Amino acid sequence: MKRVPAWVLVLVGCAVCVGLDYAYSATVAADRGMKFWLMIAVACAINVLSATALNVVNGMAGQFSIGHAGFVGLGAYLGGAVAAYVAVAMKIPLAALHDNLSFVQSLIIVPCVVVPVAVVCAAVGFVVGLPSLRLRGDYLAIVTLGFSEILRLTVLGTVEDTAKNPITKAIAALGGSLGYRGPKLDGDFVGIPSVAGPFWTVGIAAFAVFLALRLKRSGFGRALRAVREDEIAASAVGVDPARYKVTAFVLAAAGAGIAGALLAIKRDGPGIVSPANMRFDKSFEVITMVILGGSGSVSGAAIGAVLYTAVFYLSEEALNQAARAGVGFLANVDAAALRMALFALTLVIVMLVRPEGLFGERELFEKKRVAR
Amino acid sequence: MTDLLRLSSVEKRFGGLRAVGGVSFDVPEGGIFGLIGPNGAGKTTVFNLITGVYQADQGTIRLADRELVGLQPAQIAAAGVARTFQNIRLFASMTVLENVLVAGELRRRSHFLGEIARSKIAREDEELVRTRAAELLAAMGLAGQEEAMATSLPYGSQRRLEIARALMLAPKLLLLDEPAAGLNYGEAETLKEQIRSLRDRYELTVVLVEHNMQVVMGVCERIHVLDHGITLAEGTPAEIKSHPKVIAAYLGEDLDEAEAEA
Repeated sequence: MKRVPAWVLVLVGCAVCVGLDYAYSATVAADRGMKFWLMIAVACAINVLSATALNVVNGMAGQFSIGHAGFVGLGAYLGGAVAAYVAVAMKIPLAALHDNLSFVQSLIIVPCVVVPVAVVCAAVGFVVGLPSLRLRGDYLAIVTLGFSEILRLTVLGTVEDTAKNPITKAIAALGGSLGYRGPKLDGDFVGIPSVAGPFWTVGIAAFAVFLALRLKRSGFGRALRAVREDEIAASAVGVDPARYKVTAFVLAAAGAGIAGALLAIKRDGPGIVSPANMRFDKSFEVITMVILGGSGSVSGAAIGAVLYTAVFYLSEEALNQAARAGVGFLANVDAAALRMALFALTLVIVMLVRPEGLFGERELFEKKRVAR
Repeated sequence: MTDLLRLSSVEKRFGGLRAVGGVSFDVPEGGIFGLIGPNGAGKTTVFNLITGVYQADQGTIRLADRELVGLQPAQIAAAGVARTFQNIRLFASMTVLENVLVAGELRRRSHFLGEIARSKIAREDEELVRTRAAELLAAMGLAGQEEAMATSLPYGSQRRLEIARALMLAPKLLLLDEPAAGLNYGEAETLKEQIRSLRDRYELTVVLVEHNMQVVMGVCERIHVLDHGITLAEGTPAEIKSHPKVIAAYLGEDLDEAEAEA
């Protein structure tokens, strides 16, 4: 079979995404009930992006980062702010801003958001990655956790609008625990524009998976795995662990930042960025997706993300429906707690049956390696 | 013949323990040089100092005209020093071929972004690296096992794979840390031949840490003996065999006897 050239794949992918975008609007317009399913699909796509990014650090490079939510949150705030200011600069009327923006508008706003978010998060990822040169395992994990908590608490801790210092003033503008709703226009918050449809969310996620697969199969990816296996042996063959580990952090941070930005500006989005995005349990969610799918496997992490997200939302919906249908015992239990317990139990069982995750380090459609 | 590697007064302490205390030796270019001594003599520490795993506290280590003390291990590898490890350090979850390919990273001209974009240069590099890896695997008798997991190979093959990986760097200096460990008499004889032929074929200088006297005495042109981190003797195999201090260090064991036993 002849291989399909990459540019054809990219073009077809773009076309599919544009189609998806219009299909999304059309479906929502025709049937409000479909919104739920589309919301899940978009959430899946964003989590695929986030998990794919984390997999570069945790899976391929073998560095245990539990501060992923910090980058996601940073991307959400930054992306939300940029999107709001760009929308204001485009003179989109306030009333229109509170509804979904058009696809054509998204073609201007989303690139304006994604590029600076990726650059800034990559730079921050570089700084957070530096401790990985001296620290391993648990110690490195603590540093990354510290990073995301510092970000979250900084946002939470400053709410006074009256602050004089420009830095505290800027932080206060992020709204503290109330969340960030963009700049004020005529005394009213602009809100975060809901602009990124499936073209962007699914498109970027698919592109990220494609890039991650290529990265894994490149010499760079090989060297990254070598660093994970044995740093001393890797450096003895000229692979400088420092360079590879920090690069992995930079790539993961950029991906996480974009995921965060999309979370903030997605269509039918919340219109607000909450500091809860940066809570460490959000980091663990992404880690769970990666480990569920198989640490080091690109398709594994993506499928882990889809499974996790789908089960997460569908179980909630199923319990709600059951409660409404009057299933007796549900009236007496905390449905949310029951759901989390079942969810956790499922994960425990999966891990017992397949300790390496669903895929191990293999990819979908990849032959199992024969141990001779 | 000029000297490729020159150690002068190299010293390394771990807390109060002087692991290597002022060791000096010169390894001539193209030579096969043996480093022997009882357990704990500091042989592997010397290797770790040459390759930058440890930093020497004192002294200089020169490769041709380049000072190696102060360089990072990866820089030293790039300068042309390759090694194997006493307790085999292969990349466990990677295939035989991948293990060797990793050592080709240094020759890559393209940045990883170029690789992701599959630029022309990146594809040429990959081609080059793969061709060379296949050659080396064939030279080390590992052809046909490229796709096996590295750690699933038998012990002797793992040692040869480590050498293939080291050669992928196209080194000037090859450090072998106990290559004969665990080999039987016949395999050790083959190893001697292999070391000589590798040296000739790839224009290497070889330094060898080894306990197997059959190999050391049979293949080395010069031998340096360490005990408790200091130099005991240096000379040709014949000189070392009859050196009284060396015999004493080996607990009075006759080195000819040790050779016969091995």
